[in-house]
Amino acid sequence: MDLGSEARKYVWDGAIPLQIHLHESEVTTLPFPPPALILGPRIGYLPLLVSIIKPHFSSTLPPGVDTVWFEYKGLPLKWYIPTGVLFDLLCVEPERPWNLTIHFRGYPSDLSPCEGEESVKWSFINSLKEASYIINGNCKNVMNMSQSDQVDLWRSVMNGNMEGFLRVSSKLKLGAIEEEPKINAISCTIQPRQAIDEKDNTGPSRSGRIPVRLYVRSVGEDLDDLEDAPLVDSFDKIMYINRPVEIQKKEGMFFTLRDAIRTLLPEFFEDEPLVDEQISKIELTDEARTTETNLCHRESENASISSSEVVEKSDKRNTESSHSSNKVDIKLVRIQGIEPRLEIPFSWVVNNLMNPEHYLHICVFVGPPSEQAKTR
Amino acid sequence: MTSEPPNSARKVVVHLRATGDAPILKQAKFKIAGTDKFAKVIDFLRRQLHRDTLFVYVNSAFSPNPDELVIDLYNNFGFDGKLVVNYACSMAWG
Repeated sequence: MDLGSEARKYVWDGAIPLQIHLHESEVTTLPFPPPALILGPRIGYLPLLVSIIKPHFSSTLPPGVDTVWFEYKGLPLKWYIPTGVLFDLLCVEPERPWNLTIHFRGYPSDLSPCEGEESVKWSFINSLKEASYIINGNCKNVMNMSQSDQVDLWRSVMNGNMEGFLRVSSKLKLGAIEEEPKINAISCTIQPRQAIDEKDNTGPSRSGRIPVRLYVRSVGEDLDDLEDAPLVDSFDKIMYINRPVEIQKKEGMFFTLRDAIRTLLPEFFEDEPLVDEQISKIELTDEARTTETNLCHRESENASISSSEVVEKSDKRNTESSHSSNKVDIKLVRIQGIEPRLEIPFSWVVNNLMNPEHYLHICVFVGPPSEQAKTR
Repeated sequence: MTSEPPNSARKVVVHLRATGDAPILKQAKFKIAGTDKFAKVIDFLRRQLHRDTLFVYVNSAFSPNPDELVIDLYNNFGFDGKLVVNYACSMAWG
């Protein structure tokens, strides 16, 4: 196993600049204490920052026992969601610094209790076990970890020490999924698809189940007014889906992020003929097979038409579909703060952008279809 | 395609199993809507057992987070038509 790609390193080093305000009901002295400025690691969790934030406010707190929780615009934040995911999901238009409110009293009854680092560690290890169960069908490797390895693993997450993490986690045999070659070329530059495809005919990559946590949030009409997206006042408004993705190796083609999202959210792709893909397929594969495979599920009645007609047909479909009456469109897909092109091979996304508990967290923003052609 | 569109409206059979010294429930199996969160299973057990502290696991292996939908847990970890949920009064699987 490699010791982490450059992209992975960026994820581990990534942090959200936070500006933390003490809730006014807990301020007992004047003047009001200034907000605390702090970097919240993307792969970290908010309760892990409390020991740094507390000294900032401790002199003004009312008497009582600390039960710390965070809030963003009235929404109590779930502490077991990684900080980067909370930011990506709740701040549609990224706000820097991100203004959060901290409370030391009055823990909301509908929020799972949190007893600081111990709770976060418990939640992390259980997510890791769950992910391992999805990947291997059991989580013996995590359960049989030695105490010292478990401590090292957790510390490396707390301290953002990727090398230390990889050293311990490689023992868990959750390995990286095999990447398809020439991936850098795709993600950095747009190469002619044909060129990529030729190099892609190496042996079959391991078909693996990828643990995914998916957050679906609806936003307004247009990508342009994301800042007007309705506030999330309850997590009940966010669809939370835990569904593994099975990477399917298709001959001569990448299993892309788009393919992954389609298997996760088939309802948003129902009528869509998946245009770029159909067309590229036609360009890439030999003509005879194209006619067969494409038509058998799309328009079986026309199964005998020639491949040139197929191209025209799917082109036509393309234009039709952008005006079609899908109720909801996918507006934006965000992973680790970036909005990757959906053509990126999913294996690359998983290996580089997953969180240390081996879950890939994907935020999807949906909204009513716009008049313009579909983006991305 | 292996990913059948999961029908979250369906009911899921949950099989509750006591672990360690946790009391055994009279009714070990019950049905719950797939759209319910795992938190509902935890709450149900807390009320039945009159305990605030309870450790609840799936397949004697891990504690899912309380927001996960029962249908997702069933699709990912269920077998023989049911989801096995273990509960214990003290931490059973670290």
